[in-house]
Amino acid sequence: MDEKALKMMEERRQRIEDVINGKEPDRVPITAATAVWHGAYAGYTTHEVLFDFGKCKNAWLKVARDFDFDTFTVIAGLEGMIYTVAFLEQPDISASARFILGPTHLALQDVYSRWPGYELEKNAHPQFIGKEIMNVSEYDQFIENPLDFINRVAMPRINRRLSNLGSAEYNAALAKFGAEVAKFGAFMADVSGELAKLGYPTFPMSWAYAPLDFISDFLRDIKNMVMDLYRYPDKVKEAVKAIKPLIVKAAEVSAPPKEIRKAIFGTEIVECFFPLHLNEYLNPKLYNEFYWPSLNEVFKEVVKMGQTPFVLFEGKHDAHLETLLEAPKGKVVGVFEKTDPRKVREVLGNHVILVSGPPNSLLISGTPQKVEDFMKNLLEDCKEGGMMIWPGVDGGLSRDAKPENVKAMVEAVKKYGKY
Amino acid sequence: MGLREEFVEKLSELDEGGAVELTQKRISAGEDPFLILEDVRKATDIIGKRFEEGRYFVSDLIMAGEILKQIMEILKPKLGGKKAESKGKVVIGTVEGDVHDIGKNIVIALLEAEGFEVVDLGVDQPPEAFVEAIKKHEPQVVGLSGLLTEAIESMKKTVDAIRDAGLRDRVRIIVGGGRTSEEVKVYTGADDWADDAAVGVRKIKALAGVS
Repeated sequence: MDEKALKMMEERRQRIEDVINGKEPDRVPITAATAVWHGAYAGYTTHEVLFDFGKCKNAWLKVARDFDFDTFTVIAGLEGMIYTVAFLEQPDISASARFILGPTHLALQDVYSRWPGYELEKNAHPQFIGKEIMNVSEYDQFIENPLDFINRVAMPRINRRLSNLGSAEYNAALAKFGAEVAKFGAFMADVSGELAKLGYPTFPMSWAYAPLDFISDFLRDIKNMVMDLYRYPDKVKEAVKAIKPLIVKAAEVSAPPKEIRKAIFGTEIVECFFPLHLNEYLNPKLYNEFYWPSLNEVFKEVVKMGQTPFVLFEGKHDAHLETLLEAPKGKVVGVFEKTDPRKVREVLGNHVILVSGPPNSLLISGTPQKVEDFMKNLLEDCKEGGMMIWPGVDGGLSRDAKPENVKAMVEAVKKYGKY
Repeated sequence: MGLREEFVEKLSELDEGGAVELTQKRISAGEDPFLILEDVRKATDIIGKRFEEGRYFVSDLIMAGEILKQIMEILKPKLGGKKAESKGKVVIGTVEGDVHDIGKNIVIALLEAEGFEVVDLGVDQPPEAFVEAIKKHEPQVVGLSGLLTEAIESMKKTVDAIRDAGLRDRVRIIVGGGRTSEEVKVYTGADDWADDAAVGVRKIKALAGVS
């Protein structure tokens, strides 16, 4: 690898490591992520970039060459944590099965998701809609043995192609799924190598989830879950307690083994990914009773394993900010979608490692000047003590984010993000 | 406390069992269902206000919608063919490319409880569907819903299509969803925006000229 790229990769990695270790680096790092923006930028349809890994890679690397981020991650799938848990016994499949991908959706025909080129027009964003998989009367069966329930009862209901256990269709679908997941794992490793040649580091990731979100997203569906909290509070609490150890186990097995981390990734840091969903939905009483205690326990377990929780606080988290003071200090990275980062600083100080950035509405409808003004204010108000920028803070870069605005964001961080 | 006040309290406190039981009790006692409907509106108003004050959250609105649905199921057969006076007509749908509907459905439940006639177009609706619905139903307000950041572009296209069809002056348009903002309102050419359901209902009422 050429020396310039190596040096750049080390600089970028150092910036992020410093922030995670509670230090101010030379300047604020930009950790960009998207599902489809790279495809739009490279001139592909959303369908193409989600179903053709070759095109996804071309677009990914084109963005990496044309923009000066510190990391650039493509998350080309939808929530699929239940597959990671279902396949816990097979760690390599478990780790790579975290997201429902276009090809795995085709292999299993899951009922949760809708995809461009199939259920949606070819430029639409893929969407996780969810479905009631477990009915109320099945809570006890789930609580008794959650892993068995997920495999024997839930999987055949989630995946149309797995509805008939032992059939030719069933066996073929599972083989196809395994092959697609392995292909995806190889693809990610390949891109990571190519990114390194361009001077981009990759941080290893592991997968976790808020226990209540798991039951809500994959088994009961959000609307039913909300009503269960009022109608069957004890069942919900027991279900949360039952799933929690499996989520902790998932975080453990999905991380690359400690011995090889440094050699492969050049870092000891593992970012353990938590996308939160019900946080914005719940009033403080429900949040404190059903959501937060088990989530914080998973945080603590994950930190104990030497991983860094990387948490997307979706929606407005304002009402629940103070609970984060109970989380391990300086160990949790928080991306705050709609909570003002100034408020996060005011309430939490450096207790949580702050990630913020311009919302997509600004990157879509704003101008480079407006983006610069926004970034200047954000950095001046929040960068003290270390922070990271996550452009398109509401879900990562949107398909319609204007490249000139994204460029303006990068330039503004270089101008106003220095220490 | 009278039965009417008790009913308003139970519903606004989201006491599912209590509110449904009282509805049954009032109907059994031969009470005018339109009076009950009036109380439902009062309670809905209180729920919306509590949301805006930060006392209620989305989960509370979902629960409120569920209780309202059960109460309306009891009331509907008793209302006969008669309709309560409509506060106005709203056409609402999730824009093209987006199939999310939790927020839209909460808004619809609250609007109906408030006495609006709502035409729900469903999800993933192209601009033409909104144009056709405006021609057919002549609503005062059109609600464009969407959760995805990609919905912003679809909202803009829909407002453009309504303008191109010569209908822009006949309706007020609101864009709604978690990723909307003042900026999105200006960009799409809508009249207002809301990133939560209760504010959405309040703004739709204002756009329809109902306070």
